[in-house]
Amino acid sequence: MRNLIAFLRRFQIFLIFALLQVISLVIYVQFLSFPRSQYLTTASNVTAKVLTWENDVTKHFDLSKNNYALQRENIRLRERLPEFMYTLSAGKVKIQDTVFKQQYTYIPGMVINSSVTRRNNYFTLNIGSKQGVKPNMGVFSDKGVVGIVHNTSEHYCVVKSVLTKDINIDVIIEPIHLSGILKWDGHDPRRGSIDGISNDLRIKKWSRIVTRGGSGIFPKGIPVGKVERIESIEGEPLWNVVVRYAEDYRTLQRVYVVKNLMIEEQHELEGLIPPDEEEDLLR
Amino acid sequence: MNNLTKNIIRFFVFVVLQTLIFNQLEIGYGFHLMIHPLFIMLLPFEMGVISLMGLAFLMGIIIDIFSNTYGLHASSLVMMAYFRPIVFKFYGPREGYDPLKEPNVFDMGNRWFTFVFGVLLLIHHLWFFLIEIFQFNQLFFILQKTIFSAVPSFLICLLLQSFLIKKSKTK
Repeated sequence: MRNLIAFLRRFQIFLIFALLQVISLVIYVQFLSFPRSQYLTTASNVTAKVLTWENDVTKHFDLSKNNYALQRENIRLRERLPEFMYTLSAGKVKIQDTVFKQQYTYIPGMVINSSVTRRNNYFTLNIGSKQGVKPNMGVFSDKGVVGIVHNTSEHYCVVKSVLTKDINIDVIIEPIHLSGILKWDGHDPRRGSIDGISNDLRIKKWSRIVTRGGSGIFPKGIPVGKVERIESIEGEPLWNVVVRYAEDYRTLQRVYVVKNLMIEEQHELEGLIPPDEEEDLLR
Repeated sequence: MNNLTKNIIRFFVFVVLQTLIFNQLEIGYGFHLMIHPLFIMLLPFEMGVISLMGLAFLMGIIIDIFSNTYGLHASSLVMMAYFRPIVFKFYGPREGYDPLKEPNVFDMGNRWFTFVFGVLLLIHHLWFFLIEIFQFNQLFFILQKTIFSAVPSFLICLLLQSFLIKKSKTK
């Protein structure tokens, strides 16, 4: 016992060092995959307040650019209004439509804190569970996909952006509907890559990439970017498709959170699939 | 102003500078300015390692909360605090440090500061990017990021000292 105390006293500095390291690394690893509370993230009330004050000053720096982007989006949407179209077939009959039902609604929000230079980048938005934001909702801007909600508090939420290690959004390369998974390697905030595309397929440069909408997080067809380069991976029959993102995440301000009104139905249905033991073994 | 109040004020100044200004600057090319290690560097000579590490952990966690890194800054600051006495001892004068002086560039001279703070900043940055990227086949990328961030951080820390620190009159 005395030896033990002597040992502890002798190495107390190193032991405290190791303890602090273990605490911080455990927090890091846990929060990276699944945040247990809002208190160590920018979604917590105090930090988000401070960041809001800061954003109140800095948001004006990109104001004219953002206004222009919103105006352009307005034009695009206005062009679809029936009043702005010339009717080709006169004498249409109006019917009450029962074919379409609203599946997605959108919650507008503003970015109050962001980073693009780290390995895992997050955006903090000024909307939270009061506005109906929940974890695992999709987020996009007028130009393209932004990310998935990671953690929410009452008035704020943290979005795991496309620029993180395991974002894994399912996307398709448009004219031939090739589906793959979007990844980011941590180097360039303008470029990502798509995994899982077999190299016997021909892909045209600059073909559009949009979301697939399979998991119910994003609606189908939200732009992601364009194919910039196609490289072969050594020793694997796969292409490494380099994507140039449509959105410049460095100056992002206005975003929309996707609320899927039928997500519970989809999850309920998908939960009925019995777990495949062989597939679990392969993982 | 005594030492304690001075360091408490400095703590808040460094946290605010780092979270609200330097975290928001996005220069690209892997530049990542981190000036908060300077706070740990400027703490008095006679401070024990355990209180150093405690302060480093506290500061790191506060900066983590503001930048969604969940313990990454805390871990690397504690690492730096642990190595501070070792590096100080290695490059210290033979008769020990003068407790009236402060480990800044004006009191201790350019050569001493460049060496000691340079080494500590490299340790801090290397650990930070090692844990952040955590892929050993990207070792070159980690080193590149470390150098690209440590050099500008060092220069800005040199500049900051002339704003934050009064030169001692003994010289």
